[in-house]
Amino acid sequence: MSVPVQRGEVGSRPSRGAFLTGEWSARHPAGLRPGGRFLSRGRVAVGALHWLGWIIISPRSVVSGGVTRELETLGVGALRLVGSASILVGLIATFQVAYQLKQYGAESVSALAIGWFGTREVGPLVVALLVVTRSASAIAGEFAAMTSNGEIDALRAMSLDPVKYLVAPKLAAMCIALPALTIIADGLITLGGWVGTTFFLGFNSRYYLEQIRTSLAASDLAIGVAKSFFFAFVIAIIASDEGLGVDRRVAAIGEAASRAVVYCLLGVLAADTLINAIFYFIPALVL
Amino acid sequence: MPSSTSSPLSSSERALEVHHLSGPSDSPIIFDIDLFVARGEKLLVLGPIQSGKSMLMRHLVGLECASTGTIAVDGHAFDPTKPDEKALRTLRARVGVLFEGSALLRRISVLENVELPLLEHQHSSRARARDAARELLAEVGIEVDDRTMPVEVGRAGQRRVALARALALRPRLLLLDEPTLGLDSQAAHDFDETLHALQTKYDFGIVIFSHEIRHAYAPANEIDVLAGGRIVARGTRESLLQSDDPVIHGLLHRRERE
Repeated sequence: MSVPVQRGEVGSRPSRGAFLTGEWSARHPAGLRPGGRFLSRGRVAVGALHWLGWIIISPRSVVSGGVTRELETLGVGALRLVGSASILVGLIATFQVAYQLKQYGAESVSALAIGWFGTREVGPLVVALLVVTRSASAIAGEFAAMTSNGEIDALRAMSLDPVKYLVAPKLAAMCIALPALTIIADGLITLGGWVGTTFFLGFNSRYYLEQIRTSLAASDLAIGVAKSFFFAFVIAIIASDEGLGVDRRVAAIGEAASRAVVYCLLGVLAADTLINAIFYFIPALVL
Repeated sequence: MPSSTSSPLSSSERALEVHHLSGPSDSPIIFDIDLFVARGEKLLVLGPIQSGKSMLMRHLVGLECASTGTIAVDGHAFDPTKPDEKALRTLRARVGVLFEGSALLRRISVLENVELPLLEHQHSSRARARDAARELLAEVGIEVDDRTMPVEVGRAGQRRVALARALALRPRLLLLDEPTLGLDSQAAHDFDETLHALQTKYDFGIVIFSHEIRHAYAPANEIDVLAGGRIVARGTRESLLQSDDPVIHGLLHRRERE
């Protein structure tokens, strides 16, 4: 481009009420000020939820086609990472829990803790953190590169909402991929626990499975999966907002990717803390 | 500073009419710009790098909010200082834009790139949009299959695909930012010929924003010289060649020095 670009220039001037053109979801310079970041995230979130509803209603639309593509990248692509990490987490949890319980002579009940804590907390959290490290930087980097190449401007110049065509498919894919990966991770953490309990702690398989069956309820799985929906939303929105809110410097791509990972990690941990606090202070919600 | 030109054309013949445009509103880079382009005409906005060409183009398509001025495209007035949803959609349906470097979406196919505006604005079915996209691509001299990605058609091909996408909604005005930058001379010449043929066929106005002096030697109805965010000269190539202004002289005589 032949004009020097100042920070916050791209997508920086939302027009009044320009809903259908996507102008309303473009980041305002205020987005670079404290507090403005929340407003910016809010705008992207509202737009993405709106178009997510549209994708659900019109599954054959052109935008819906993008969901399959994103699902391949965000979900299928993460299977090996999530799978191997989950087995290791299962093993780690077994050793750690058994070590703590050994002091009280209760090593034999470690499977109870693995089943319950693994599905409710460790499974969804580990998957979310793995997806953050793998995909948040990729999403932010992709959108930042698109901004740098003028692709976002090209969309806006055709009155095509970047949130509709870029963010909503990623949010939809993330909302499918993360719960699915969480269920897989729950199973593999349990598998890792079985390996640790039977091969290293010396308990037999039947005893381990019996302990898991006693400790695990469908509600535990449901709570873990519900958490993963929140995490999916947090990751997709924060990473997308960081990617769309950059200027056109090449260095901005790397900066956006780094910021996305940091804010997504904080966002997931904050969301998890909030959910756990709600369960703690409103016991009636704990199924 | 050239005197402001008043257009003798009727509103239906005006592809673009800009009066006293300055902006962006928060930190102005362009100042008091007047432009006129009739349908079927070609205007070259020539200026050195960082003279404000791209910023001016962004204003014309509503990507920046102006501090003052008025814009009318195809006789429809647009207030660039207070763009609203309806006005932006109306404006953008009438203006095709080819950004520098093509700005095609790289993760979708060439055909999908051209289909997008048709699906969004004309609510065409996928099959009809695909047929229309194929027709458009054939018109700009590109033949692809369903899965051809932008990266596979090369730089010159990408410019043509971007041209097809810009023409998808049959705009009354086509804005081109450095359309042949980075192309070899043959590819640039072929692109110019395709553009000229399409303009003759569809009768749209063209504004080319470029620092490439070669555009000044191609047929253009008028050349506006932009420097420091202002139009410093306006006229035909012949009249501007006689100018003593160092900026204009430097720009137009560069080719001879090269």
